[in-house]
Amino acid sequence: MNIADWVVFLGTLSGIAAYGSWRTRQIRSLNTYLKGRRSTGWGTIGLSVMATQASAVTFLSIPGQGFESGIGFVQNYFGLPLALIIVSGVFLPMYRRFGVYTAYEFLGRRFDWKTRLLGAGLFLLQRGFSAGVTIYAPAIILSTMLGWRLDLIIVFIGFLVIVYTVTGGSEAVSLTQKWQFAVISIGMVAAFIVLLIELPVGLGFDDALHIAGALGKLQAVDTSIDPGRRYTLWTGLLGGLFLALSYFGTDQSQVQRYLGGDSLRESRLGLMFNALLKIPMQFLILLLGALLFVFYQFERPPLFFNQPEWQRHAQGPERGAFSTLEQRHVVAVGDNEKAIRAWLQTRRSEDAALEPIARATMLEANRQTAAVRSEAKVALLAADPRAKTKDSDYVFITFILAKLPHGLIGLLIAVIFAAALNSLAAELTALSTTTTIDFWRYLRPLAAADEARNVRVARLFTALWGLAGVAFALLAGFAENLIEAVNIVGSIFYGVVLGIFLVAFFFRRVGGSAVFFAALAAQVLVVTMFLSLNIGYLWYNLIGCAACIAFSMLLRTVLGSRASTDPGRGA
Amino acid sequence: MTGPLSPDQRSDAEPPGLPGFHTWRGVYLFVFGWFVLFVILLAAFGRHFS
Repeated sequence: MNIADWVVFLGTLSGIAAYGSWRTRQIRSLNTYLKGRRSTGWGTIGLSVMATQASAVTFLSIPGQGFESGIGFVQNYFGLPLALIIVSGVFLPMYRRFGVYTAYEFLGRRFDWKTRLLGAGLFLLQRGFSAGVTIYAPAIILSTMLGWRLDLIIVFIGFLVIVYTVTGGSEAVSLTQKWQFAVISIGMVAAFIVLLIELPVGLGFDDALHIAGALGKLQAVDTSIDPGRRYTLWTGLLGGLFLALSYFGTDQSQVQRYLGGDSLRESRLGLMFNALLKIPMQFLILLLGALLFVFYQFERPPLFFNQPEWQRHAQGPERGAFSTLEQRHVVAVGDNEKAIRAWLQTRRSEDAALEPIARATMLEANRQTAAVRSEAKVALLAADPRAKTKDSDYVFITFILAKLPHGLIGLLIAVIFAAALNSLAAELTALSTTTTIDFWRYLRPLAAADEARNVRVARLFTALWGLAGVAFALLAGFAENLIEAVNIVGSIFYGVVLGIFLVAFFFRRVGGSAVFFAALAAQVLVVTMFLSLNIGYLWYNLIGCAACIAFSMLLRTVLGSRASTDPGRGA
Repeated sequence: MTGPLSPDQRSDAEPPGLPGFHTWRGVYLFVFGWFVLFVILLAAFGRHFS
């Protein structure tokens, strides 16, 4: 990065953070601090919902996913529009009808205090850890590629977010997300245009798509029922629906985004905005990855995209083996390019006899290149069993640093940071709101009348959760297994929380005690299965949800229909 | 459900206020139709370039 990049990067991020803090510095009302202004329109709500979900990893990993496996990952989002319709039609009217600050406050109204505290506690546990990962995951990639100190990146992100979220709360989050998302959109469009310009002379967009398609990168919809396939139409519709329903319907970091606004209409339109645009947006980011794949068929890519990791081992005792692999890679990439050009030639000349032969040659050459890349990963592991062999997250950042002009590099680095800030800010305000409303105010009902004190407490909790996120991110550098642990913890709890909410909305005769003990039993079942079985942890979302609903129905017959409701303390 | 209802309950019947849409059911059907169309277009896109 040169001076122009630094000016764009620091100017963009600090400018938006300062703007958010300045515009919201005079907020004194708890309602505005936690929900945003009543005048918030559907456009701001829609962008805020979208920005909260699109973390930095979205813009680093998803192009890499398109590069590595093609655009089939888009199927993961197929359940999202259906989930948003359900949230808009069922969840949202209930939340607004009760005028709640948090989704868990609604559980208190619908069931009782203990179910409310259980839901809020599970959210804090899960989201509190993931706030640290939101900072750490992009910081480690940027630190590796830019050579910046990891701890400084983590503290920089944490500091910026804490400044404007403590000052302006949810209002500042919505305001900054709008501008940050504008920067993200401009940056991604610029990267797309540069990529198209950088394609070899004579290779048009249509040719590039045909190459990507012929090499298996454009299969967007897979109707296979083979359970071994990770991304299919069916896993996307079923698994994606449950995941999106629990995330958008019960996770306070999303619920808080659409609870604000002038009316139910604005919130609903904000959700429908996402239902319409989310899949096309993910498709375009994946397509960018598939086109990066085409680009690197004509320009020799690094054998392993995480070059610092590769170089660390290539200089070691196994340097001979690493050098041989690099030489083989140069030859394989050359053969591959020739084969692709030969196939393009037969395609353009519409030679029906030669085209299948040229295609088969191209596919074989491509397999050889992929095989050398696989061998490189095996060699890395042989040299160091703890080596990080997943390099797809480094594909897009490698392209940015190598091919984008100065100024745009700064903008794209700002895009990645802006995405991290977007998600983290929403998480911090959600954690602070839940701590203030569901715990502090509930346990100190007399304090509810003191508006100024409530705002001060909410600000304090925002700062504390921000500092906890930074501390966790710094700690994750020493124990990277924590990140996987956070994902597992999320899956273990998400399903049960969704189960509680589905009972609340669809099983009206079930009371608080029945659902509370059912949730505890379902949680024990999930934890026991996790400790004793070896199944993919994503399945626990479905198991936890189904068990919570089934146990609630069983306990209803034992304990009788609903009885107690929250007296409304702190509501 | 129990408890007093807030003024927000009145907005349950609020129309979407979009040209051509009189009910939220119509909006949801449109969104669902767009989703189905987009999936079909994605499938056709993959088939065309394979």
